[in-house]
Amino acid sequence: MKSDMILDTKGLACPMPIVKTRKAINELQSGQILEIHATDKGAKSDLVAWAKSTGHQLVETQEENGVFKFWIRKG
Amino acid sequence: MRTLQAMTAEQVGHMVMNKEDLFILDVRNTDNYASWKIEGTNVESYNIPYFELLDGVDEALSHIPENKKVLVVCAKEGSSKLVAEQLVEAGRGEVYYLEGGMKSWSEFMQPTKVFQDDKMKVYQFIRVGKGCLSYMVISGNEAMVIDPSRFSSVYQALAEVEGVGITHIVDSHLHADHISGGKRLADETGATYYLMKSEGAVFEHAPFENHEFIQFADVNLQVLAVKTPGHTPGSVSFLINDHLLFSGDTIFVGGLGRPDLGGKVREWAKDLYQTVYEKVARMADDVIVLPAHYSDVNKEMNEDCYIGATLGQVRKNNEIMLNQTKEQFVDTVASSASTETPPNFEEIVAINRGLMEASIEREQELEIGPNRCAVHHSA
Repeated sequence: MKSDMILDTKGLACPMPIVKTRKAINELQSGQILEIHATDKGAKSDLVAWAKSTGHQLVETQEENGVFKFWIRKG
Repeated sequence: MRTLQAMTAEQVGHMVMNKEDLFILDVRNTDNYASWKIEGTNVESYNIPYFELLDGVDEALSHIPENKKVLVVCAKEGSSKLVAEQLVEAGRGEVYYLEGGMKSWSEFMQPTKVFQDDKMKVYQFIRVGKGCLSYMVISGNEAMVIDPSRFSSVYQALAEVEGVGITHIVDSHLHADHISGGKRLADETGATYYLMKSEGAVFEHAPFENHEFIQFADVNLQVLAVKTPGHTPGSVSFLINDHLLFSGDTIFVGGLGRPDLGGKVREWAKDLYQTVYEKVARMADDVIVLPAHYSDVNKEMNEDCYIGATLGQVRKNNEIMLNQTKEQFVDTVASSASTETPPNFEEIVAINRGLMEASIEREQELEIGPNRCAVHHSA
């Protein structure tokens, strides 16, 4: 999936993936896609809940060799 | 000076047991909080996900009482520390974060002596975060462990303090909510591990089908395996010296075990009826029931600070155990069957049967959450 920005949070533990995601999404325009890479297993449920509460849309997730990838469309 | 301090799961456990006041700010996701949280008589908690507090904790401050110890809790620790630091900066006094998060809480076990006479001594291990109970029965220089959790070192440590060797290990059934420590503890100590063969374990064990009585030590301590199917088809209970009933997941202080995990609720409910009305009904009112789980520490912990009650009390509080026809009983149990299963129960069952292996990290993940083993009935 095409993305406008890639954020690497591999190796970071909660809460850092969300802290960095919030910062990164501020730099995007509404409708643009942020791609996030994470290794923290809690990242998925946190990103889902965070996106829901902030009005962004989690459009796709993948897991590859222990790395989770998320695509979020800015709301 | 105000500083942030860590609180261990053990310290939280002691506060819960001693019914001390504690305010918990739980910063996990709303879903996680709703399904499983720290509870206690004088524990008050409030949930705001941490990501809503990253720009400031004002929203949380208005919900936090000024005069109580405040414990900030999250899944592993990181987020709770971040939020707790901000509470300290905002001028709050006694602020703590939970060391190791809910993961540690899920693992903490509290041993309590529940019974002693001239023949034996019995300890109950309360795994506060999960509502799981296990036991050690000591007689002479031997010990039996009942329904051990995977933290085998805890039982070994108590055995060492007591100067006894663990020689017998029993599991009342194939557990679906937590990983059994039976095999591990047996491998470490050389003790005999008993389990119903019908539960499907693939490793070597002593089947209860061939051992209806277990005796050990100089003292004539009799362990009678009362076959009590219902929760799973191979559930057993243990009646020791005609006085203590280790009821596994068949009878709890607050109700009966749920027979719906195998997808055959009506069939298994009939077995449970048979057990309750034919086998347990014959036992005396002063028999002490010691179950493998509890769901509400406030209601199920007795005055001696352990989870247990006399059979008379349990019968009195659970109408379902008295004066019901088989039809009524099966209907009640079937209608209260929950669609919620213990988290990850299929994988946990596979591990407990020896069909699958898991790393310690995976075991921790699988076990996080509530036990969901009791029948929630309105009767």
